[in-house]
Amino acid sequence: MTRSDKGRHRERHDPHWIEWLTGLLSALLVAGMLGWVGWEAFMKDATPPDLSIAVVATEPIASGHRVTFDIHNAGATTAASVTVVGRVLDGDRVIEENQVIFDYVAAESKSTGAFLFTSDLTGRQVDIHPAGYTDP
Amino acid sequence: MAGKAAAAEDGTSDPGRFVTGLGRGIAGALFLGLPMLMTMEMWYLGFYMARERLFLLLMLNIPLLILLAHRIGFEKTHGWREAVRDATIAYGIGIITSLVVLAALGLLRGDMPAGELVGKVALQSVPASIGAMLGRSQLGQDEDTTEGRETTYAGELLLMGAGALFLSLNIAPTDETMVLAYKMTNWHAFVVAIISIALMHGFVYAVSFVGGHELSPQTPWWHAFVRFTLPGYIVALVISAFALWVFERLDDSSLSQSLLSVIVLGFPASLGAAAARLIL
Repeated sequence: MTRSDKGRHRERHDPHWIEWLTGLLSALLVAGMLGWVGWEAFMKDATPPDLSIAVVATEPIASGHRVTFDIHNAGATTAASVTVVGRVLDGDRVIEENQVIFDYVAAESKSTGAFLFTSDLTGRQVDIHPAGYTDP
Repeated sequence: MAGKAAAAEDGTSDPGRFVTGLGRGIAGALFLGLPMLMTMEMWYLGFYMARERLFLLLMLNIPLLILLAHRIGFEKTHGWREAVRDATIAYGIGIITSLVVLAALGLLRGDMPAGELVGKVALQSVPASIGAMLGRSQLGQDEDTTEGRETTYAGELLLMGAGALFLSLNIAPTDETMVLAYKMTNWHAFVVAIISIALMHGFVYAVSFVGGHELSPQTPWWHAFVRFTLPGYIVALVISAFALWVFERLDDSSLSQSLLSVIVLGFPASLGAAAARLIL
């Protein structure tokens, strides 16, 4: 409860128990959060980005095929301007090569993207791999 | 009605006062909504953000406006019906001002799909409507509506939430929030959290602003810290997390990464919460 008078507000001295309960819960949450952040600050090494690709789906579309993929960053640092190269290969021959650039792939997180290939994919391999990144 | 009698004594007509209130609402909507109306990310979000989340934001804005109107209102509100009326007017002002400004800035064109037009206006109408509601209370408090008033605990938390939401809506859509979270280390986040809490407590209790809060002499300082500042910080963090989720900044992020972004946004949100307690 707060009483307002002449532009100043005064809290009650004898508050309802729910104020204390809320305060206690909040204190626990804040302490827990700070504890987690602090513990990770100590224990986690700032490993560089560790990028890996997982193809999610391949679907035919009007102009060819759409290959949807996830890019995972297992490292503890975020990667920026991540360039992912996707190639359609027939044995050793590169039929088609495309690029997708991700603004950010956050640490320990994933992002999703897709390649649009115009070539026919039957009997051919699709190779998708990350090609480079910058520090954010 | 008591309100009409008071207005007649003032010598100003009821419709005159109402139109003045509308004018202040428009001024508030413009003043407080313009930073977001001119933020590029808000335009893009208008057409790409998930419609369910936009809908949720629009729906949650309604009880927020009603609760704010009950507290500060366009005119001396005497009950929930007037609060609903004032909230509706504020929302309407928010929508109209957003529509006019976005159209004037060339962001609404005839060749755009209806979904994009509606999405852009709807998204901007939320902060503009809060601005319209606040405009009445800040730009023209000529009545002593704060004298002798009691605010419940839930009311205090709500005020903090409204202040936090307002600043969160300003800052969450921008890319800089996420870039800061990506570049920070956990130590930086720890320090930012401590600073947020300290500033929240200091601004409201220790620095003697007009509108500042006090404790009666027999109350130790940590009473207010535990009862108000810490819950206020949690409210600011929850509002920040909500704002980030609505604008799709938390998808696919790990818990640690999301926590960093929430702490980053929690810094302005907590100051907004403190400012709301001072001003409202």
